[in-house]
Amino acid sequence: MIIKGGFVYDPTNGVHGEEMDICIEGGKVVEKPRGGDEIDARGMLVMPGGVDAHAHIAGAKVNSGRIMRPEDARRGIEPRTKLLRPSTGYTVPNCYAMGYRYARLGYTCAFEAATPILESRHTHEELEEIPIVDKGALTLFGNNWEVLECVRDGDLDKLAAFVAWGLLASRGYGVKVVNPGGGEAWGFGGNVKGIDDPVPNFGVTPIEIIRNLMKANEILRLPHSAHLHTNNLGKPGNYETTLATLKAVEDISASRNRQVLHVTHMQFSAYGGTGWRDFESKAPEIADYFNRHDQFTMDMGQLIFGSATTMTADAPLEYGNARLLHAKWSNHDIELEESSGVVPLVYGRKMPINAIQWAIGLELALLTKNPWQFIMTTDHPNGGPFVNYPEVISLLMSRAKREEELASLHELASKRSSLPSIEREMDWNDIAIVTRAAPAKILGLPEKGHLGVGADGDVTIYDINPANVDPSKDHKKVKGALAKAKYTIKGGEVVVRDGEIVAVPQGRTYWVEASVPENQAAKVKADLVEKFAKYYSIQMSNYMVQDAYVTHPRVVKAGVI
Amino acid sequence: MREIRVVPRRDFRVPVEAEKISPDIFTPLTIEEIEKIEVWEGNRKRALTDLFEISGDGDPAKPEEVLIKLEGNFSRVKRVGEKMTCGRIEALDDIGMHAGNGMAGGEIAIKGSAGDWLGREMRGGRITVLGDAGDYVGAGYRGENCGMRGGEILIEGSAGDYLGEHLCGGTITVLGNAGDFPGIANRGGVIVIGGDAHLPGAEMASGTITVRGRARVLPSYQYQETVEIDGLSLKKFLGDLVDNGKGELYAASVEDGGA
Amino acid sequence: MAEDVLCPFCGCLCDDIKIEVEDDRIVGVKRACKLGSSKIRGHERTKAPMVRRDGELVETTYEEAYDRAAKILKEAKRPLLYGWCSTVCETHKKGILLAEEVGGVIDSTATVCHGPSIIGIEEKGLAGSTLGQIKNRADLIVFWGANPAEAHPRHSMRYSSNSSGMFTPEGRKGRKVIVVDVRETRTAKNADKFLLIRPGTDYEVISALRMIVAGKGDLIPEKVAGVAKSDLEEAAGMMKTARFGALLFGLGMTHSRGRYKNVDNALSLVADLNGFTKFVVMAMRGHYNVAGFGQVCAWETGFPMSVDFSRGAPYFNPGETAACDLLARRETDAMLVVAADPVSNFPRNTVEGMAEIPVIQIDPFPNPTTLLSDVVIPSAVCGVEAEGTAYRMDGLSLRMKKVVSSPYPTDEEIMQNILDRVRRLGDDN
Repeated sequence: MIIKGGFVYDPTNGVHGEEMDICIEGGKVVEKPRGGDEIDARGMLVMPGGVDAHAHIAGAKVNSGRIMRPEDARRGIEPRTKLLRPSTGYTVPNCYAMGYRYARLGYTCAFEAATPILESRHTHEELEEIPIVDKGALTLFGNNWEVLECVRDGDLDKLAAFVAWGLLASRGYGVKVVNPGGGEAWGFGGNVKGIDDPVPNFGVTPIEIIRNLMKANEILRLPHSAHLHTNNLGKPGNYETTLATLKAVEDISASRNRQVLHVTHMQFSAYGGTGWRDFESKAPEIADYFNRHDQFTMDMGQLIFGSATTMTADAPLEYGNARLLHAKWSNHDIELEESSGVVPLVYGRKMPINAIQWAIGLELALLTKNPWQFIMTTDHPNGGPFVNYPEVISLLMSRAKREEELASLHELASKRSSLPSIEREMDWNDIAIVTRAAPAKILGLPEKGHLGVGADGDVTIYDINPANVDPSKDHKKVKGALAKAKYTIKGGEVVVRDGEIVAVPQGRTYWVEASVPENQAAKVKADLVEKFAKYYSIQMSNYMVQDAYVTHPRVVKAGVI
Repeated sequence: MREIRVVPRRDFRVPVEAEKISPDIFTPLTIEEIEKIEVWEGNRKRALTDLFEISGDGDPAKPEEVLIKLEGNFSRVKRVGEKMTCGRIEALDDIGMHAGNGMAGGEIAIKGSAGDWLGREMRGGRITVLGDAGDYVGAGYRGENCGMRGGEILIEGSAGDYLGEHLCGGTITVLGNAGDFPGIANRGGVIVIGGDAHLPGAEMASGTITVRGRARVLPSYQYQETVEIDGLSLKKFLGDLVDNGKGELYAASVEDGGA
Repeated sequence: MAEDVLCPFCGCLCDDIKIEVEDDRIVGVKRACKLGSSKIRGHERTKAPMVRRDGELVETTYEEAYDRAAKILKEAKRPLLYGWCSTVCETHKKGILLAEEVGGVIDSTATVCHGPSIIGIEEKGLAGSTLGQIKNRADLIVFWGANPAEAHPRHSMRYSSNSSGMFTPEGRKGRKVIVVDVRETRTAKNADKFLLIRPGTDYEVISALRMIVAGKGDLIPEKVAGVAKSDLEEAAGMMKTARFGALLFGLGMTHSRGRYKNVDNALSLVADLNGFTKFVVMAMRGHYNVAGFGQVCAWETGFPMSVDFSRGAPYFNPGETAACDLLARRETDAMLVVAADPVSNFPRNTVEGMAEIPVIQIDPFPNPTTLLSDVVIPSAVCGVEAEGTAYRMDGLSLRMKKVVSSPYPTDEEIMQNILDRVRRLGDDN
């Protein structure tokens, strides 16, 4: 097919709003196709399909969220049609709604932020049910007994071999680290207080876990870097933990042309103050650090007012949330590996803390000078559901809209953050970077996030004319156009037309197969045999995710050379 | 007053969902248009006239002047009066589940008995039942914090279990008995029970429950004093103390919770 | 010898079973308890599909059985698709799709088992863990209204009272067991503390315990529902001072007066206890894959059970859309039963409801439900003759194995066949 004459934004290839054609054949972008349909995209915005690098879309804790929230499921109900299964839910949509809603937004790729190895079969069962988008899942390692023991013993090669094994066992794509050490301490109801606080019973510290997993990640030359949810997330004053963590890993080099560490949903980790009374934003300090250290990247974790469901492998945090808010609370510890919590809540415009949190996300985005170090997310559904991405984008592009919003919020949003003074407005090039090009690069997906020859034929056309719409003034138009793609094209097939789903292909699931030296693999195996014999509640032979659960794999090879 | 009569053409086995039988919806329509209104019989979409005989005054009127008369067996017809804001519905016999769902105003008068979830998530208006009501009178939807937020429900007979679950406002009066756990998890509102109740006000955060008959009271309720209200001597309790609740429970006679 | 086979019986989903196979037949089963072993070895099977003609069940072809089943479901105005607990998730997916396409109501055996637990979770959430977490850390186990000695025979040894792990090397000796029940069960006989409570008083006893845990014990009376305050104080003390406690509850809690409110209160008790120490709670699920149905149904429809598709969008309201509700009220005009035996387990008046309507049964084995069925379709036994996914009581998913072959189609294949024929019968609505 040929997408004719649209205003193309393809930052990876230096294209900034040129009117040009994009040609797709055999599911890939080509120079010239041999024929096919023509789509008239004149007067419209053309971008690569969106890439969501961090969202909680599949697996045990997402389903816990559904099971405990029938009141959420009954929102957002759309009945079945000839083509579509029914949709339900707002913060915890059913699998079909996930795929349909991403596609309508113009997203064609989404990654599950955290899958525990033992329950990855479940993660993949749900990923298989999410239509249209390509997907993957990041595997949790930061509280795993084998990891803690390798760190304790200083055995980096064995750790790398275990990470490779864990990615295979979970059919995972990358190394996810959440409140390292804290998840293990939670096994007896505790937590870690900082990066140097030793983990009970294992004697290693969170920063040691982080450093070792980062190094193992680089030994294996994985496409993505280690992906970190910091310790002390959500606590007033935690920006110090965030900065201390980054400073403590400045010396580590990436094995590939990418960042060495990605810090996720940074909004929740950019807090100042000593308690809720003097809570304030430290986004400028965080952004400033990133501006001076280009080996790190982050994603936003923006708050959306209204209903949200917090769900994270930071189980002690969730318990704290539930007590504070008198909310219902689900918890799930996973033997030897991780723990997680789910707590529904509502973010209020007039709640001082929420108003400041809302400002912080935007500050981080606007104060980080290089958009390639930044990804727009809401940490769905922790900050809010991903269907609200157009809201966030329109805020990034319009100072006037930000001012309107600030006026409707509790005054502390203005007083405890620097947002009112920020003039910067992102342009379409910036937006294309923070929603497509940067996430693809940061995740290490060379065929995503751009429209150069060889890229996947994932293209979005939005019905908005960059030549005559000023996003700064017409932010309502921006939000409206981005909420319903004129066309979403996935692998060269039109899946959305005029905001309606017209095709439901199955996407592919990325996972990484990393090779390691045989002797290291054997050492890992020996450890695991013992763990399964003594501690796990299942047999080792039943543990790994089988082929049947990943029917459309996209395997990326990596490993020790 | 514009009077419209709705009479079932037969007995229903598979339930009928008729949330469009409401003064708000009928008001601007002629009888012919009312007959074409969509209702569901199980999984079959029907026109109202397929299942019911419609008759009455033909001219569209103001909603507050509309009276819908339900004549016959409506015990399997659900969601009548859903979200209505004004006008009146009279059921001459029994009515099915979810009558007055999300009602915001107007009146529903039921001469027979009402099915479960009467006045679910109600916000205003008034429902009266001469007979009995089922379970979950004035309750909420699963998982929600609040059920009924306003309005009045009066039941002259008895009610089933979980009366006023998650009550946040409004008044529910039952002249007969209420079943198990009336007023559970409520955060406001007033419940008056003429007869007996089992473990009223469990998890109550605030609100008032009066049992003029006999109640089995939870061990997490604390006796305060004995008062006289409307000529009846009532024991006053504070609870539910498991969650530092500040609700008031009055009971005329208390079943021994130790036994 | 087939190793590490999963047992297709109860929610323990033991995955260490050894099965001896000779000439494609099972000749020995090792490690499984009596319940599992009996199922694996198999017993009388329904030999061929049957349809009821002139009041009698007569053998027929699969083709005719599929046709009849499709026709019954397609014509029904409120078909009920029920069961699912003893088949794999792959079957559940087809069942949900079929329910959507025929505009019916789908429900699982949770409706007579832990459905109330799910409703409790909808109020309060569930502070839980995998079974291995309990094995490795718990020094206090509380069984409430559950009798694993008889219902989940290998549970104690593999996961709870008698298990040992990283932080629990002494096994039973290093932990305490409390049992709360209305009679002294076999499990109670092995407890360190047994609280005998009167039937229907679980809620009050839990409220009393919560008061004591919160330090308000002086406000509660000396006796609560027949239980001495001193006993409650002792139990609460054991709970608060445990290093890691686990409350495992069964049908005693879900089926007594109060039902889901009992579970609701127990979930609150465990949340309260987390303010003092580490505590988890778990529902002792009965059949081996009833938890799986809840998971699949939740991710596909947003709701874990009792889903009504009559109007094309899922509607969930147990008490209105649960299987027993439909049958007791005589609302349903056709029923499909897959991998369950409602005639044995349901209240009597709901079974009478089943007798009035056409019933389709898909099951490897004949059982009392067969007697009321109008179409009977025998299938392969999941976990023995067919593979697929199942979820253990703690939500962990595992893959059931195929150990021997069989001439029977799988539940999944049968469902697909019925679905195909329903689609061929054309569009309406």
